[in-house]
Amino acid sequence: MAGWSEKILDIDLSTKSVKTYPLDMEMARMFVGGRGLGARLLWDLVGPQVDPLAPENVLIFTAGPLTATGYQTSNRFSVTTKSPQTGTVLDANSGGFWGMQFRKTGHDVLIVRGKSEAPVWIEIKNAEVFFHDASDLWGMRVYAVTEKLGQNNNKRNVLCIGPAGENLSRMAAIMNDRERAAARGGPGAVMGSKNLKAIVVEGSERPELADKDQYKFLMYETKKLLAASPLTSQALPEFGTVVMMNIVNNIGALPTRNHQQTQFEGAEAISGEALTDKYLVKNTSCWACPIGCTRISKTEKVEGEGPEFETTWAFGAQCGIDDLAAIIEVNSLCNDLGLDTISTGSTIACAMEMSEKGYIDSDLRFGRADLLARSVEDIAYRRDLGADMTEGSLRLATKYGHPELSMSTKGMEFPAYDPRGMQGQGLLYATSNRGGCHMRGNMLGPEVLGLPKLIDRFQIQGKSSFVILHQNSAAAVDSLVVCKFTGMGVADEYFARVLSAVTGIQYATGDLISVGERVWNMERMYNLREGFTRKDDTLPARLLTEAPTEGPSKGWVVHLEPMLKEYYRGRGWDENGIPTPRKLADLGLANL
Amino acid sequence: MPVIKLYASLRKMAGLNETKTSAEVLDAALTDLVQRHPGLVGAILEIGPVITVRPHIIITINGQLTGDLDTRLAPEDSIAIFPPIAGG
Repeated sequence: MAGWSEKILDIDLSTKSVKTYPLDMEMARMFVGGRGLGARLLWDLVGPQVDPLAPENVLIFTAGPLTATGYQTSNRFSVTTKSPQTGTVLDANSGGFWGMQFRKTGHDVLIVRGKSEAPVWIEIKNAEVFFHDASDLWGMRVYAVTEKLGQNNNKRNVLCIGPAGENLSRMAAIMNDRERAAARGGPGAVMGSKNLKAIVVEGSERPELADKDQYKFLMYETKKLLAASPLTSQALPEFGTVVMMNIVNNIGALPTRNHQQTQFEGAEAISGEALTDKYLVKNTSCWACPIGCTRISKTEKVEGEGPEFETTWAFGAQCGIDDLAAIIEVNSLCNDLGLDTISTGSTIACAMEMSEKGYIDSDLRFGRADLLARSVEDIAYRRDLGADMTEGSLRLATKYGHPELSMSTKGMEFPAYDPRGMQGQGLLYATSNRGGCHMRGNMLGPEVLGLPKLIDRFQIQGKSSFVILHQNSAAAVDSLVVCKFTGMGVADEYFARVLSAVTGIQYATGDLISVGERVWNMERMYNLREGFTRKDDTLPARLLTEAPTEGPSKGWVVHLEPMLKEYYRGRGWDENGIPTPRKLADLGLANL
Repeated sequence: MPVIKLYASLRKMAGLNETKTSAEVLDAALTDLVQRHPGLVGAILEIGPVITVRPHIIITINGQLTGDLDTRLAPEDSIAIFPPIAGG
């Protein structure tokens, strides 16, 4: 059938068995691919009481019907699992080239289950699967493993974990193509718990297209739209995502020193402008991407991809550090060790505050750029305080008696937008199915950038409808799987038309958004089954009760309760945040 | 006098990061800025029968987002202007 390869590759590491079986096409139609398909499969495969680091947990790698077609940004893949950091459903998403190559092996889904007795790496060459002894790779860092296993961007792609994943850090990332990361929520630890070091893919199959002429036309239209948008043709290629630093700081929404303030006096020094002036070598891009937001940066010590805005903020303003060279270097270190930069930076910031207040015995202090590299290495190798920090900020802060100092929700640390300056962002974080995350429907667009239209960032009543729409749209895009930056030049309508042209199934824009809504509710049901309740849809007390005392967000806390009540109603859920039977039936989920 | 701060690509276009303005209203401040720095022509404003701000241009006054060109300015005000930018 066009659009999907219709095959699931299922590998059991305990028995070294390999099975290939058909993808349920009704499931594929309803959930499409990527995040959606991963969530639906996880529901069947991993029930409650399964420890995320036990062999019974699975890793589900999913492409989408657009993956490897050549459509703009059709390079991404998702990995779905139960998160060792949050215990929720986790979908982590990455770009680069691996997703494209995986799809070219002729599979839509790869399920990895069980646990190998000894370290192993897997090689998938079209329909063939090979198991290799990884005892000589275990302990190696990401860059060395990637090179040793023969990384070639367009032909042979390496996905692996570093020492952080091997040591079961709850912030461990799965890395691909050297410096790309499926990072949030600790999927690298799940891979490490299975003694799985790497998955290498080589493929030669081309995805089948239902309507080639329409597809080519839509690719041409997308090319024109992306070239015409100043966001995708100028802003992102010229400055990358770090250009967000100055605007978010200017409006008083830049979390600083573990969210103690909302503006950072050193923001200019770690801005996109500063990066471009002092450290940028060039920009580059993932497979089939004309935008080119990736930075290649160089300091005296390192040269490589990044840093992104979130990374620069997490090790910058959040830690009170304005040394951009140090941030670039620690970004490279995180990539090499296989760590999520957002959670790692924010956890170090939490430790900094606890140390300054005397709750832990450490030399960590805000502003100590010289201690970043040591802290990151200690986290990856579970050394000294790193053994506590590697568990994430919530477990760290709880162990030392101050859980309120973890800037997280559901155990995942927040990214670079302080919701006291963006009310809708607060609702987004509180209701996110994987914890503190902006990629579930970033309100940056409407609340700050005026995309598509500016709304009052301090507005409370009526804000939930925007959050719901953005969450559904993001879930749909994550299920295709394409890059959300494409959506800055191309409306959802185009994605629906491309999906229709590729699959031969007519998806209207509303149908695609319904896919997103279905995925959102599927994830919600998974978390409810795991024991999450309304009380978990919340934010730290600092954001709910401590208003900034200066700056443009002075006096504001997040007014979550009225927004949450409105949100549940808007979602068609009851007052406890549980999808009603009618809502589930409307979405085709009545059998859950 | 109010200060105007420029960001991202606007800095190179204007040849500076920051300047002051004697204007008392926002639209006059922007018009004056463009006239003094011709590199910004077409980047910030659309000049026609009515002056409007170009799409995706972001303006803040003391950190508050605004699109009201009739806003009166105080001497201590800080105006920030951003070109179309995006991130995540």
